Parts: sequence; structure tokens; C-alpha cells
Amino acid sequence: MRVKIAGVAVAAALALAVSGCGSDDKKDDGAQGSEPGLVIWADDKRAPVLESFRSQFESELGVTIKVEAVSKDLQANFVTASQGDNAPDVVIGAHDWIGNLVQNGAIDPVQLTDAQKAGFNPDALKAVTYNGQVYGAPYAVENLALIRNTDLAPEAPSSIEDMVADAEKLKKDGKTEELLSLQVGDNGDAYHAYPLYASAGGYLFGQKDNGDYDPADLGVGKPESIEAFEKISELGKKGVLKTSIGSENSIPLFTEGKTAYLVSGPWAVGDIKKAGVNYDITPIPGFEGMGKATPFLGVQSFFVASKGKHKTVAQEFVANYVTGEPLATALYNADPRPPALTASFDKVKATDPDLAKFAEAGAGAPPLPAIPEMSAIWDPFGKAESAIVGGADVTETVEGAATTIGDAIKK
Amino acid sequence: MDAVQTASRQRSKQGYAGSGLTGLVVRITLLGVVAALAVWAVLPLIGARSWIGVGVVAAATALLFWIYLSPNRRLPLKYLIPGTLLLIAFQIVPVLYTLSTSVTNFGDGHRGDKDEAIVSIETASITQVPGSPEYDLAIAADGEDALVFILSDPASGKYWAGNAEGLRDLAPTDVQKGLSGKITEAEGYTILTAAEAAERSQEITDLAVPVDGGGIRANGLSRAFQGTSARAYDEGCDCVRDAVTGQVWTADPGHGYFTDAAGESLPQGWQVSVGADNFTRVITDDKVRGPFLSVLWWNFAFAIISVLVTFVLGLLCAIALHKERLRFKALYRTLMVLPYAMPAFAMLLIWRDMFNQDFGLINTMFGLDVGWFSNPWTARFAVILVQLWLGFPYMFLVSTGALQSIPTETLEAAKIDGATGFQAFRRVTLPLLLVSLTPLLIMSFAFNFNNFNAIQLTTGGGPFEAGNSTVGGTDLLITYTYRLAFGGQGAEYGFAASVSVFIFLIVATVSAIGFRVTRNQEEVYR
Amino acid sequence: MSAATVSTAPKRRRRPSGGRDWWRHLVLGLAVVFALVPIVFVISAALNPQGTLSSTALIPTGGVSLSNVGDLFANTPFAHWYLNSLIVSGSAAFISVFVSAIAAYAFSRFRFKGRRVGLISLLLIQMFPQFLAIVALFLMFSEVTEYWPGLGFNTLSGLTLVYLGGALGANTWLMKGFFDTVPKELDESAVMDGASHAQVFFRIILPLVTPILAVSGLLAFIGSINEFLIANVFLTQPENKTLAIGLFGLINETNRNANFGIFAVGTLLTAIPTVAVFQLLQRYIVGGLTVGAVKG
Repeated sequence: MRVKIAGVAVAAALALAVSGCGSDDKKDDGAQGSEPGLVIWADDKRAPVLESFRSQFESELGVTIKVEAVSKDLQANFVTASQGDNAPDVVIGAHDWIGNLVQNGAIDPVQLTDAQKAGFNPDALKAVTYNGQVYGAPYAVENLALIRNTDLAPEAPSSIEDMVADAEKLKKDGKTEELLSLQVGDNGDAYHAYPLYASAGGYLFGQKDNGDYDPADLGVGKPESIEAFEKISELGKKGVLKTSIGSENSIPLFTEGKTAYLVSGPWAVGDIKKAGVNYDITPIPGFEGMGKATPFLGVQSFFVASKGKHKTVAQEFVANYVTGEPLATALYNADPRPPALTASFDKVKATDPDLAKFAEAGAGAPPLPAIPEMSAIWDPFGKAESAIVGGADVTETVEGAATTIGDAIKK
Repeated sequence: MDAVQTASRQRSKQGYAGSGLTGLVVRITLLGVVAALAVWAVLPLIGARSWIGVGVVAAATALLFWIYLSPNRRLPLKYLIPGTLLLIAFQIVPVLYTLSTSVTNFGDGHRGDKDEAIVSIETASITQVPGSPEYDLAIAADGEDALVFILSDPASGKYWAGNAEGLRDLAPTDVQKGLSGKITEAEGYTILTAAEAAERSQEITDLAVPVDGGGIRANGLSRAFQGTSARAYDEGCDCVRDAVTGQVWTADPGHGYFTDAAGESLPQGWQVSVGADNFTRVITDDKVRGPFLSVLWWNFAFAIISVLVTFVLGLLCAIALHKERLRFKALYRTLMVLPYAMPAFAMLLIWRDMFNQDFGLINTMFGLDVGWFSNPWTARFAVILVQLWLGFPYMFLVSTGALQSIPTETLEAAKIDGATGFQAFRRVTLPLLLVSLTPLLIMSFAFNFNNFNAIQLTTGGGPFEAGNSTVGGTDLLITYTYRLAFGGQGAEYGFAASVSVFIFLIVATVSAIGFRVTRNQEEVYR
Repeated sequence: MSAATVSTAPKRRRRPSGGRDWWRHLVLGLAVVFALVPIVFVISAALNPQGTLSSTALIPTGGVSLSNVGDLFANTPFAHWYLNSLIVSGSAAFISVFVSAIAAYAFSRFRFKGRRVGLISLLLIQMFPQFLAIVALFLMFSEVTEYWPGLGFNTLSGLTLVYLGGALGANTWLMKGFFDTVPKELDESAVMDGASHAQVFFRIILPLVTPILAVSGLLAFIGSINEFLIANVFLTQPENKTLAIGLFGLINETNRNANFGIFAVGTLLTAIPTVAVFQLLQRYIVGGLTVGAVKG
């Protein structure tokens, strides 16, 4: 018994000693925790770009900044973090997240002055506007275009049929192995399929009078969409579209000269230049006698988190700092995507002819719908595309996808 | 002889007794550390007045002391408690939380509570009053350290100081501007630095200087604007009213939305309880129930076949290697463990690329043109093959471990009794192996039953039949649930939780049956 | 009789060894080829100077270079990731082996109320689809980060703790099965000699079960070094990441192909600690039980 009492005493003494050290640690941690600073979340690709500007931000804003990279599922993690107590202050992401982020109360509107608004590419501004409010500061606009190897195909094709004919000739002559590199993959890719679908008359959502997308008017499953997929099915049968070409190999097929035509965006240009391929960028051709093959416009934006601990600094950063020309140009230099800020775009246009070409390819392109209902489309639409490219019956597949999407939207 | 034995026993007794003191010291030290950790953990909780937290820490500490200071009656607990505490904290509590969400509509649009939704709706409706000036802003504090906005209108050259009471004119002479045009000093106020202002972020956000037709709010640290919130919550009618259009959205407590007369909802909703709705949906909704059963059989087949093939190959390798003085023994062993050493997710992605129809290694190597992932059967074969590759080294390792534990004498004895190598294996080795390995095979079955990565990172559940984009040929219940919950229509977390309860019940039942079988064996061996 | 067997056995084995082991070599050879093909592919990718997936074949064709290694270290905080992974997985493996060994001892040696229920529950809890629990863990650690930043997000200790939540899982089962094969008479005689339960465990059982401790340790190490779903949520600062999550970030959608070479290098380097741990523990795994000691 006595041993036990002694034990307790010793234990208590030890406890005091250790907790003494512990409380010292605590003080340090506390100081670190309450340190004023802005926390920015980005994906692995953009985080290093921002990190390189960190010290500049810090000296100009007068606060410390932490740039953190979320390697996977940034949007989902941001929403969860907003629900917990650990939300970042600023998030960088695609504008089509806005609908979901707003319904989860994760982001706040950004108040821009009229002068600031006028400085942006109008399409970019439209893309980040949701329910009449601007929800993000756009910094880059990107869309798909047709990139062709000018050594193999000197002339830009006037239509898909034209392109396929040239490509078949190249393949027959043994100069290439594939007709076209447009990523499909085993589970489809709605974003890359959309220009073809649009050219053949299909649409995803109708638009309301004010230009907003109308979830009540679903275009998938309408007769136009079935016709459009018939055209896609033909391309699949000819081997122009292949499920074996996906995100992992579409760009390399082009850089290695295995195909003369690639449908991709500004992110592909770096690899192509590195490979030393001579290329030109033109709008994606439409089907003969049918509509333009308009791609979707994607806008990379800075968002102000609702639940951040330093919201005013975040607003200052997003509304008054990111919107300036110097930063936009600097971001372009670090990661060459067409700037959303007109002044910056004009400045770099002279040195980078690709920008204007991408902009031309994206002329009249609708922004990716930001409404939450959009998320119901991606998966079934992509799978329908993949199945049809693989030779499945068009009507049955499209109607099946339409039912799935319709059910998901109704919920 | 007896004397020697007694002597040795006495010696060893002394040995044990001597180390009894060490045991005591160790025990006291450990309890001391526990107490220290408890104090360390409790201080911030006290600081935050989180008495529940304090209670939990105190209870856990008391429990530990009680267990380790009490006599041997609670002996098993002494051995079980460290793992159990970790298990409770980091597995059981999260699972219980997940279960608790299965009776709610928790998901995208329904994450927070109603108040958060209201704040979000009101904030989202703040717009700049048309024609109002854009102010330059400096954030300052007055003599009592209360927050003040120092405002200037560059167009008119006027200056104001604003707080919660309203605006007060400032004489231009009272204000100093820096080179960049920023207000650096204002008579009677202290201008805050960015870092100081950052710390009072919440206060700044909350301050709206009242003026006619709205409030002047900070927009960041250097600008301010006059804004009004068009939508406001009215407690009287439990509704949100838009002051500009006059539209009214009434709260719908059953669904956690504000809905207008036409049935249109505001996007920001809140989390409400939906009772057993999620569960009945699993059972009654054809879109869920139909696939559920059709996926189930493949799910079982996948888990059982995965375990069987990996076990057979693993065991075969272990037996082949279970011999003293086999040439290249160490080399074989090292090479065979390699698949297990490679990061599984990376290898799953690489396998996926290897199965590509036109560019994949497998088709090019064997000169095939098989669309591995476009036919359900080849896709199933492919994922099983990948499982075999990933899993057999594990089975090899555990079989080796188990083989080592079988006393060689037992086998030698069987051989002396005239058994051939194979007979000895079947009658002696295998049953003994199964005693220690059956629970493990069941664990492995359970793991594979829910092996999300194996499917998601390779086929993604595909191939999908024409017209059916919800269920693919290789979908497991868990990948199917994942898409149901997070893929298609946005996150429906509560619903996913209720589906996972069904999955859990199925796996648990099957495993429990398997366990009963083991139990008999175990008891026999004892 | 036993002595006779022992003395004749080596003689019998030594002579016809080459002839009678052919099936062993066949089985093992095939298994090794099967095991190695994808790994050779990864090695080839790692050495491919173009560093892209599509230009990689099973055997390097476009020349061999170590440029990917340089790129990996130059462009990413790979060394940090490496160290982090070693710390997290090493400590998680060590602690979890200890924790599950003592639990397995209790399950194997004592008969107490709730033993069977405990064992079954241990199994059942592992079967719950864990990806759903990540949201709960996130909310939980939001609180933890506030009170104890040293254990919260972006700390290795926090992540290790979460991994330890599964310590009792599979390993306890594995070990209990093994402990059951150690004859009970051994500890009974030790108790008669005056040993306490703790002494029986540490001095008698543990030395006898080193093979299983080694195997479990290896399994726990591999399990945590491969984990990336939870790590993704926990570690957001580039320098704090573990190998799995850092590597995963290298091959997100648009970078998948371009970074393939450095990803392959990272994959191979990730395997090294595991192989090293295996080599380290091999002695125990191989050595096995000394039969004499068990029967003593």
C-alpha cells in the first residue's frame, strides 16, 4: 500500500515537471497559432506558382502568408474544411465550382468596382457571376482548340470531315499512327467531347432570358442530343475517337508525332514546345454543314472563403490585389495561361501569339455552367460518350444517361 | 538432482523478484507520463472553458490510473486499454459520427445549421448601392480601442470617420496621406497596420457604418463601399424576404431549405433530420435497390476470389521456400516481397495504363488487341490479376510466419509415421496453418470486400453498359456508393452513410458466419 | 527419437537437394517473374530521359538517364516527404506492434468476460467503409488543432495518432493466432517460478514470437506508408507531406503523363525503406522459433 502511495506521489511530481515543460511548448504554439496571416489553398500545380510570389505578397500586404497545396479533391476538402474550423482564407479553383461552393456557404461575393470589372475579359466576368453576384476574381481563361502539327498538316482543316480525310491520308502514308488525339478514356470525358456535341446541335442546359443556365431545360436526351451522339458514334467507328486515348496519353501522342491533330488547351503548349514540334492553333472545326464546334470556357479564379479567419485580408488580397495588372502578368509568366485581365492579356499577347489563337478558338464559347446541377451531368454524359465511342447503341445509351441525369437533378 | 532444481528455481525467483522493482519503476514512470499528458491536454481546454473536454480527459486519466493501480483482477484490461483507447478515439467515434448522419440530409447544400444558412443568404445578397461613392479606407482605432473606418472619397476630396453609430466629418487637415495615397495618419485615431487589422478581421467584417440607404462596409483593408443586403431573415414568418423584388422564401423544416411559392429553393440550405428516409430509400428506390443486388454477387465473387488466389499463390511460394538451405532463398524472398513494398496506389495506376487497349504494355507485349476494360469479363479478370499481384506477397509473408510457427518436430513425427510430404502437409501442416490464418483470411475478405482503391483507380467501376451509367461491370458496393454519394449529384453524405450501414450489415453477417467456423477449429486446437 | 530425427535430417536433405528442389525453383521463378514485370516497367520509366508515360516500354529503348532523379529532387521537396514518411510510418509501425502485441497476449492467454465479443468487434469495426469516416476525422481534428496545435493538422504526430487508431485491427488477429501456438505450459511454469504476467509476456512470450512481430511490423509500416486518403486531408503544407500524398500530387489529371518519369523514380524510392525494413527484419522472420526452446 505504501508503495502505491509513493508511486502516486512520484507520478504526480513527474506530471508537474513534464507539464511545466509542456506549458512552455504551449506558449510557443499559441504564439504561432494566432499569428496573423493569410492561408491560401491551391492544387499542386498552382501552389508553387503562388509560393514564388509569397514574399512579395507579404511585403506589400504587410501580413504573413501560407500557401498550402491540397493534392487531391481540393473542392471537397475546402467544403469540409469550411464546415469544420479549419477553413483557408483564399482558395484558387475553377469557376464552375461556384454553384456548389455557394450552396454550401463556403465562399462570399467579391465586391469589385465598376472600373475593376471593366478591366476583365467580359466572358471571364460572366463566368464568375452567379445569381447576380461576382463570386471570384478571375485570373486565367482557358478553352480547348485544335492544335495541329504543321509539318504533317500545313493547312488548317475547314471541317471535321476535312480533317479526318487528311488524317487518314497521313496514316495510310505511314506518317502517323492515330487520326486524332482527343481524350475519351474508359469512362469518357464530357469536357473534351462537348465541342463535337455542340457542333452537331446538342446542348446541355437551355439558357434563361438573363443568360443564366436553366436546370429545368435539360438538353441531354432531346432528339438533337441523339443526333449529335450519332455523329460522335460515326467518329468512333472510323477510329477517330478511341477510348484508349485518355488524359494520360493524349498530349504525348501529339508531342511524339504519332498524330497530326490534338484537341487540347493552353496547358498542352508547354509540353509541345519542349518536344520541339512545329504547331499551330486554330478553332476546333465543326461537322460539315453543321454548327461551330464551340468549346467550354473555363475560368481560374481566386475565391474568398466565408469561414476564413482573416476575411478582410482575404478580400483585400482578392478584390484589390489579384485584380491588378502586375500580378496577373506575373502569374502568366509563371504558368502561361491566357490572363483574364485585359490589360495583362494585351501586354503578353505581343510575345505569345498562341494566346490570341486560343482566344479566337474560344470566341463565342459559353462558360462552363456553374449551377450545382451541372455536377449531375459530367459522369453520365462522359460514360455515355465512352460507350458510344466503343460502339454502343446511341439512342438507348443517351436515353439511359438522360434518365440518370434527370433523376439526379430532381433528387 | 532435486537440490539443483530447487536452487535454480530459487535463483530464478530472485531474478523475477529483482525485476519486480524495475516493473514498479516502469509503471510509475509511465503513469507519470500519463498524468503529465493529461495536464498538458487539459490546460487549453480549461482556457477555452470546454468543461466537457476537461471531463473526458479527466475520466480517461482516472480510468487509466484505476486500471493500472488495481490488482490483477483487471489484468486483461491492462493489456487491452492502450489499443482500445486509440481505437475508440480514431475509429469508433468517427464511425459513430458517420452513423449519426445517416438519419439526416447532410450533404452538399445541407452542411451547416439554419443560422449559418441565413448568414450566408444575407451576405450573398449584399450589393453596392447604385451610384454610391467608392471610398478609400484606412482601418483605425479610437481612444478606447474601438474600431473606426477612416474614409475618403477621392472624387470629392472629403474625409469621414465612421463607426457603428454613424459618420463624422473629418477636416482634410486632420488627415495625412502617404506617397501611395494611403491614409497614414488621422487626428485622434490610431491607424492599424495590416497585421493588426488582420487580427481583428471578424470585427471589421461585422462593422457596417449606418448611412442612408445601407451601410458602409470594408471591402478588404483599403477600400469600402456602401452596400445593402437585399435579403433578410424575418423571424416572425420564419422566412427570407427580398426587399427589392418582394419575393418571399419560407423555411421548410422537413427539407432544410427556404422555398418560395413556386417551389424554387434558395441554394443555401441547412442540415435537418430526415428520420429513416435514407434507409427506406435504399430499400424502395429501384435505382438504388436494383443495382445493389446485382453488384452484390460480383462484390462477393471479387472478395472471395481475391483472397483465394492470393492465398493459394502466397502459400505455394511460402511452402516452396520453406526449406533450409534452398539455393537463392534470400533472393527469392526479397524479390517476391517487392510488389508489396511498392506504393499500392501508384502501382494500381500503372497497371491501369498497362491494360490500355492500344498503348498498354500487356497488349503490346503479347501482341494482343484485347479491350481489357471494355468487356465486363476481361475487366473482371484484369482487376483480379492486379489483386493477385498486389496481394500475394502479403499472403506469402503471413504464410511464412505461420509455417515457421509449426514445430518441425510435428512434421518429422508425421513423416516417421510413414506420411508422404503431401500427406503430411494436408493432414498436419494445413490444418495448423489454418488455425492461425483463418481469422486473417476473414480479415482479408473484409478488406477486399471494401477495396475501394482496387476498383476506383483501375476501371473506375467500368465498363458501363449502354444506357446504364450508374452501375459498371466491376463496381463494388463501395465504389457504387461512392459515386452515389459524391459522384453524380453532388455529395449526399447522409444517404451514403445509410447505404454504408447496409454494406456493413452484409459484410458483418458473412464474416460472423465465417468466424463461427473458425471458432470450432480454434477450440479443437486448444 | 526426436534426437535421431534431428541428426539424420540434414544428411538426408543435403544429398539430392538439386534434383528434388526443381519444383520449388519453378514455382518461385514464375512468381518472381510475375512480381517483377510491372516493377521493371517502373524502373524503365524512371530511367527514361523523356520522362513520359507513353514513351516508356518494358525495356528502356530511348536511352537511359538519371535526369528524372535530379528533376524529382529539384522540383519537389522529396527529401522532406521521405523523412516525414519514415517518421510517421516508423513510429506508427513500432507503436502499433507493441499495442497489438499486448492486446493479442490478453486475447490469447486470459479468459475474461467480453473476450469473444471484443475479438468480433475488432473485426467488425474494420469492415466499416472508412472513406466516410474521413469527414468525421476532419471535424474532430479541427477541434484538436485549435486546442493542441502540436497534434493537429499539418503535424506528423497527429497523422501518426490517426494511423494508430487502426493498430488493434488486423495485427491483433494475426498475433493472437500466433500466440495461440505457443504452448501454455511455458508461461504456467514461469508463473510457478514466481514471474508476474508482465514478466511472462516480456521475457517468455515476446522472444518466442519475434517472427510474427516482425511480420506485423512490416505490414503496419507498409500500410501507413501507402496511405494517402487521410494524409491528403491532414497535410497541406508542401514540406509536411508524406511520400504517398506527395507522389499522388505529381500525377493529378493534367500532369499525369509529363511527370510520369519522376513519379516512377519516387515510387521506386518509396519502396526502398520498405525493402530495407524487410531486410532488417528478415533475420527474425527467417530465424523463426527455435524448436528446442518451445518444447523446453
